[in-house]
Amino acid sequence: MEIDRRAFIATLGGTAAVSLMDSEAKAEALEHYMEEQLDEQAAAAQGQAPQNPTVAELEAQIETRNYRRGVGNLFVGGQGGKVKRLEPMPKKPTLQDFFRLRFQPANHVLQSATRAMKTGMTEEVILACLLHDVVQSMIKVDHGWWGAQMFEPYIPEKSTFAIRYHAALRFFPDSDAGYEYPDLYYRIFGQDYQPPEYIAATYKMVRNHKWYMEPRLVTVNDLYAFDPNAKVSIEPFTDIIGRHFKSPKEGLGNDNSPSAHMWRTLANPDAPL
Amino acid sequence: MKTTIAAILGAGLLLQTGPPTNYKGLEITPLGVERAQNVALLDCPPGSNTQRGNARPGEEFAVVSLAFKVTPAFKETIVKKPVLTDATGKVFNTSVAIIDPGSRPEYQCSFPFRVPAGTKVASVQIDTASINVASLDKK
Repeated sequence: MEIDRRAFIATLGGTAAVSLMDSEAKAEALEHYMEEQLDEQAAAAQGQAPQNPTVAELEAQIETRNYRRGVGNLFVGGQGGKVKRLEPMPKKPTLQDFFRLRFQPANHVLQSATRAMKTGMTEEVILACLLHDVVQSMIKVDHGWWGAQMFEPYIPEKSTFAIRYHAALRFFPDSDAGYEYPDLYYRIFGQDYQPPEYIAATYKMVRNHKWYMEPRLVTVNDLYAFDPNAKVSIEPFTDIIGRHFKSPKEGLGNDNSPSAHMWRTLANPDAPL
Repeated sequence: MKTTIAAILGAGLLLQTGPPTNYKGLEITPLGVERAQNVALLDCPPGSNTQRGNARPGEEFAVVSLAFKVTPAFKETIVKKPVLTDATGKVFNTSVAIIDPGSRPEYQCSFPFRVPAGTKVASVQIDTASINVASLDKK
């Protein structure tokens, strides 16, 4: 079987993520990838579209794993591998330090923010795109709310609003705004998935809010930020961060803000208690 | 003989495209209109984004393909997203954005518009440029 090396690396989270994996984990990941490719090729050869799992099938997989799907990336080894020792944070860490040392690979959010910038969106939206998913290093479930809470003391209210509610809006297509329901969600949530009541109620509230377009534009850029070949960096956003991110002089995690503990958790995920 | 057939087929294909429209130095030629339930989500010029979008029951994507040629008159600027107008005058948006349109000399892009199934398309507008695609719609 021929392996598309770039596509394979992209499934693992990019070259940075791969460099953190040991040989055993890489071999296991490759085997898993080849199995999936083989299944897809076999289905295609029979003229079938790739089959998406049902919600029940995904739930049946829960006890096959040694982690829960909502856990943050820092707390679980990639593709079943072991976690790696992390480089310590500087004494007074900045947002850029967290991007460099804890949010890697941040390619997706950087692509998303780059698109927002290139299409002329506001700085509040660009900042929200830059930050919208990085809390997934700590926790994935309800990441919109967790992310908003973590950034709330430091960023404009509109950016916080956008981060908090993008997670609810992503289940509801809006072609007027240019957002389509992603194929990926059939695979990761199940083809028959219905968002829970609190998500539907949140969507209804935000749909009628005067700031609806802020989180909606985060979802719009989100869709177009999964290019394994995109070359992006945090450099173009230095000025926007400088203008809109109130970086504490003590360093993130040391400033006694309502979310300082979240930054400390990201800085020290190996602390036992 | 083979050459003649190829030439005829080629001429036939050329006739199926619409005339080019010039917008701020971008020469835009309509190539076709296809229908799909599931589409690749690639900005314009296209990269290698892996995401795809899905139509809901009762809907479909009208996918309009356009060829772009960058002429010397083009100056880098933000170009608005295309909008689609159907035969009744109703307007539809696309999620695809035109980003860095001067980054390549020539390229082709597909713009999916989610429409009610069976919608007949009329034209695509990019800001002030209007491109007739009705004759390319096989619906």
